[in-house]
Amino acid sequence: MKTAHEIRPGNVIMLDGSPWVVQKTETTRSGRNAAIVKLKLKNLLLDSGTETTFKGEDKLEDIILERLDCTYSYFADPMYVFMDAEYNQYDVEAENLGDAAAFIVDGMEETCQVTFYNEKAISVELPTTIVREVTYTEPSARGDTSGKVMKPATITGGGTVTVADFVKVGDKIEIDTRTGEFKKRV
Amino acid sequence: MTPTQASSHWDIFCTVVDNYGDIGVTWRLAQQLAGEYRISVNLWVDDLHSFSHILPQLDPGLSSQTFAGVTIFKWNTPLDIGFTPGAVLIESFACELPEKIKAQLLAQHQSAEQAPPLWLNLEYLSAEDWVDNCHGLPSLQASGLKKFFYFPGFTPKTGGLICEKNLLTQRAEWQSCADNRLGLFAELGLTGIAPQDKVISVFSYETRALAALCQLWQVSMPRVHALIPKGRSLNSLTQLLPCPIADLVPGQRIVHGNLTLHILPMTDQQAFDRLLWSCDFNIVRGEDSFLRAQWAAKPFIWHIYPQEDDYHLVKLEAFMSLYCDNLTPEIAKPWAELNLAFNQEQQSAVNLHWQELDSVDLPLLQHAQQWPIDALNDADLASRLVQFVKNS
Repeated sequence: MKTAHEIRPGNVIMLDGSPWVVQKTETTRSGRNAAIVKLKLKNLLLDSGTETTFKGEDKLEDIILERLDCTYSYFADPMYVFMDAEYNQYDVEAENLGDAAAFIVDGMEETCQVTFYNEKAISVELPTTIVREVTYTEPSARGDTSGKVMKPATITGGGTVTVADFVKVGDKIEIDTRTGEFKKRV
Repeated sequence: MTPTQASSHWDIFCTVVDNYGDIGVTWRLAQQLAGEYRISVNLWVDDLHSFSHILPQLDPGLSSQTFAGVTIFKWNTPLDIGFTPGAVLIESFACELPEKIKAQLLAQHQSAEQAPPLWLNLEYLSAEDWVDNCHGLPSLQASGLKKFFYFPGFTPKTGGLICEKNLLTQRAEWQSCADNRLGLFAELGLTGIAPQDKVISVFSYETRALAALCQLWQVSMPRVHALIPKGRSLNSLTQLLPCPIADLVPGQRIVHGNLTLHILPMTDQQAFDRLLWSCDFNIVRGEDSFLRAQWAAKPFIWHIYPQEDDYHLVKLEAFMSLYCDNLTPEIAKPWAELNLAFNQEQQSAVNLHWQELDSVDLPLLQHAQQWPIDALNDADLASRLVQFVKNS
């Protein structure tokens, strides 16, 4: 069991007897520090999607399916193609990657986990943290070094991350792939 | 066979966390559903003692009692009163339902004869954008039961704001007669308030910003009367008090220069509304009094419930952005900066921005009078909720 707060794109959860792959997670803060987690799900039996919300501490049954360590090979619209250590290739629908797609770039070396259901590759989990280079961001406006003032930055691959004001073009930053949040400059 | 509903009543569950906030909201909603929509409502509350502060007739010793058409049950753990599922079940502010009740809902869900009640989680009020996209979404439970998240809010895509049908008319009538204000103060045992004096209600959490404002008010003109109930605000003002807070009595006056602190008696919700209507400025906190200050159509400071990582400031900014949307920067800026400074306990800034507000008193008051109409977006929370239930 995982709390809703711990669920991340690529996980598969059981709801009402059906397996659902998590395509996207969005955590927001309600009153009194309580988290609200919004999930975009796809039913693996019916191939239908839905959006649903949970309290952050709600317990969800995540199911352990067959997984393989793979690396990203290339994109053949609408499929991302991954390859295992024995050079077998697996196609994963772009839709099933959710927000993780923003962090997938040509030549990436990080090992991803491809999840299978009924022998079909259904989702991909990225490592919890990845490092990407900032390709564009506005210069620091106020010389802030506290890390509390934030600004948008474009990273390798074209994704956008909100970063601390002191981050510059060319900096390498660590990103939490579960939330898409900037963690630190490396 | 089509499943049927055993009963048409609604159940609302509430755990009391902040004395008057959660119970304040749920009690208002329960009364409105019963009074305006003729719905039979059961309100389950875990702390009747706190509840009795805003409903003085309530006997905390009784396990069930009825007021304003609402049956109030004492929610003990484990639940020791039989629960009969009705048409709607609301867990307010994400409180956790007793396992026994969840088991009953599941049994109904698995039975072909009876449909379980529509299960709703009534969430906290927020002006943030994400509320639009989360309001009304189902929460699929592992058991197959479905719960819906109901988010109050300020836009047409949200669940709306609690506001009784005739509230704004009653408020306008009250404010149109100047005698009402002084009459109420007298009724509350508050003496020495002249018609031209500035009267400010204070219902905040602890903050050094309040102490700073009180220092400023001691030398301000016209004279300021700060009306403060015994509670958390006074913890920030101990240096101005002649005795420990516990020894203060309602009606007591403490004079420092041009500032008079008045110790307010506890009042019920109707009297609290009238108090907000009667003051020139209100300092409010949390959710219930925050909303009632908006309906009072007077300028206010919102002391928002503090959250980890200063996340409350995100929520404050979201609200201020909405509230100031059609205000000119000359009015919006000092008001927003005053609220921010108060919430960040910035003593000199709070005093500076308070003084800046002087020059925009009138337009800010005019905006406060228009705001309730704009904020309601043609439909209050109870009417949207009833419609949501009908459509589900």
